[in-house]
Amino acid sequence: MAQQQNGQAIPAMTSRERVLAALRGQPVDRTPVCCPTSVATVELMDLVDAPFPDANRQAEPMARLAATAHTILGFDSVMPVFSIIQESSALGCKMQWEGKDNWPTVRMSEPIWDSPDDIYVPNDLIEHPDTKCVLDAIKLLRQELGADVAIIGKTMGPWSLAYHCFGVEKFLLLSLDDPAATKEILAKLKKVTIDFGNAQIEAGVDALTLPDHATGDLVSGEYYQRYLRDLHIEFAERIPCPLILHICGRTVDRMGFIAETGMAAFHYDSKNKPGESMDTVAGRIALVGNINNPETLFSKGPDDVKAEVFANLDAGVQMIGPECAIPLQTSIANLRAIPEAVQEWHARH
Amino acid sequence: MAELSDVQNQTLRDEIEEYLERPEEIARFIELFARAKPALQEIAAAIVEGDDAAADRLTVAALEQGIEAIEIMDDGLIGGMGIVGIKFRENFVFVPEVLSCARAMRAGMAHIEPILSAAGVEKHGTVIMGTVKGDLHDIGKNLCIMMLRGSGFDVIDLGVDVAEDAFIDAVEQSGARVLGMSALLTTTMPNMGRTIEAFIDADLRDEVQIMVGGAPVTQEFSDDMGADGYGADALSCVAVAKELMTAVA
Repeated sequence: MAQQQNGQAIPAMTSRERVLAALRGQPVDRTPVCCPTSVATVELMDLVDAPFPDANRQAEPMARLAATAHTILGFDSVMPVFSIIQESSALGCKMQWEGKDNWPTVRMSEPIWDSPDDIYVPNDLIEHPDTKCVLDAIKLLRQELGADVAIIGKTMGPWSLAYHCFGVEKFLLLSLDDPAATKEILAKLKKVTIDFGNAQIEAGVDALTLPDHATGDLVSGEYYQRYLRDLHIEFAERIPCPLILHICGRTVDRMGFIAETGMAAFHYDSKNKPGESMDTVAGRIALVGNINNPETLFSKGPDDVKAEVFANLDAGVQMIGPECAIPLQTSIANLRAIPEAVQEWHARH
Repeated sequence: MAELSDVQNQTLRDEIEEYLERPEEIARFIELFARAKPALQEIAAAIVEGDDAAADRLTVAALEQGIEAIEIMDDGLIGGMGIVGIKFRENFVFVPEVLSCARAMRAGMAHIEPILSAAGVEKHGTVIMGTVKGDLHDIGKNLCIMMLRGSGFDVIDLGVDVAEDAFIDAVEQSGARVLGMSALLTTTMPNMGRTIEAFIDADLRDEVQIMVGGAPVTQEFSDDMGADGYGADALSCVAVAKELMTAVA
């Protein structure tokens, strides 16, 4: 059944139109299915011969694997940045690239910086092979998928970058011991977020995910307000495309602040109930999420996945997708159940 | 039965009054601090306030007064950290604050541990701890280890990014009967299940009790993976370890 707006049927949209309309708060023909973080799996890597770590470091396999979100899973968007470490590698962090069945990670126990004075963001950050491959992959995806599929890029926020460059424990302790130094670090690192984000816009993305892991599992909502809200407002002003903030964990205590940032959407975790979350943001920002990864997408079956999709749709969540990057062993059947459930729900409403 | 007014230290009285809600916990901490020596109440207050310099100084002073190391640890350091653990569980404080309190506890423990080691105090047993393969986060694991050691366990810390084989090797080499796995990422949580499968494949599953924890880990996930115990935080990690140790005794 076509969606209605003021009594008029909304014409069928392309995936890209659907995603962009949802990000702008406009009517859609049906709720878009999005992957603001990653839906890469081992099965998908095998299908298109694009395994990790190559798909994290080379443009062609990166684009091939990213395209599967649309071509095989039926999502409305693709995301070529599967991990959260491209910029950190370019900044000089010690990396562990891993193999096909594990995520690449930053060796945070071997931090590269000790104080704000150590921070050095090279002007040619986007020329580093681990950032340039993302830009090249975006261009390949646009050539391959044309104008009908939304391409979402990813640029890391300064809080997450600080974890990588200073170490999580050291940075969190610094945030208590020396708030001024903490703010100085964040202010210096925002150049990375803006430069890489703008470069991806030039390469052709329609929107950007901005992960900045000030999660309720680590810090308070008051911390978000104190350290990040104004920076996120600045990003929304200076990065000229729709931004999707991603923070894992329980975040409902900071969603009110997040809703004030001017970002287009917030990618939220299953630790937050859809209805409660929608009430908290009160229409000031769109929500995308929040299908549980470990207990549902990874461990259960398509019917359980669909039940969570329906709960989000019933609550009015504007875009549907997994809560975060999914476990690499997640089944294709469970991922396909997300767009199937969206279609089923709309057929009934 | 002791009353709140029996606790001499004002900071501790305020903490109990403001942050503790469960009657059994209120009673337990009032009982603990009402009988604790004033010097140890001060140490507990320093822990709660995350004041590592004070914890260091007060621990040295308490030892110089002739107070037993184990009493300083139980009534002062662990007592204080117990309040912190409850505040964390109830979302009154978050990880930065807990790390600050843990730093204070370590400052005190640095003086206590050598004395306890030299005295050969009997331990509850040995626990192997590690963060699963692919996951380099260790804050939660390290807090658990600190609380386990403070509570009288020997701990073998395998660090982060621990492969299934490394867990198995550690069990075979040490003979430890309790193992704890941590994960912070939903993407690495499945490696807990893989590790448990590896113990089954190695015919060692019955030899070891396995507990799991980490921010995204839940009781349901723990049950699905076939773990024997789940701890939501460092305090419950100690309680689960004690239960599991009893099961293998």
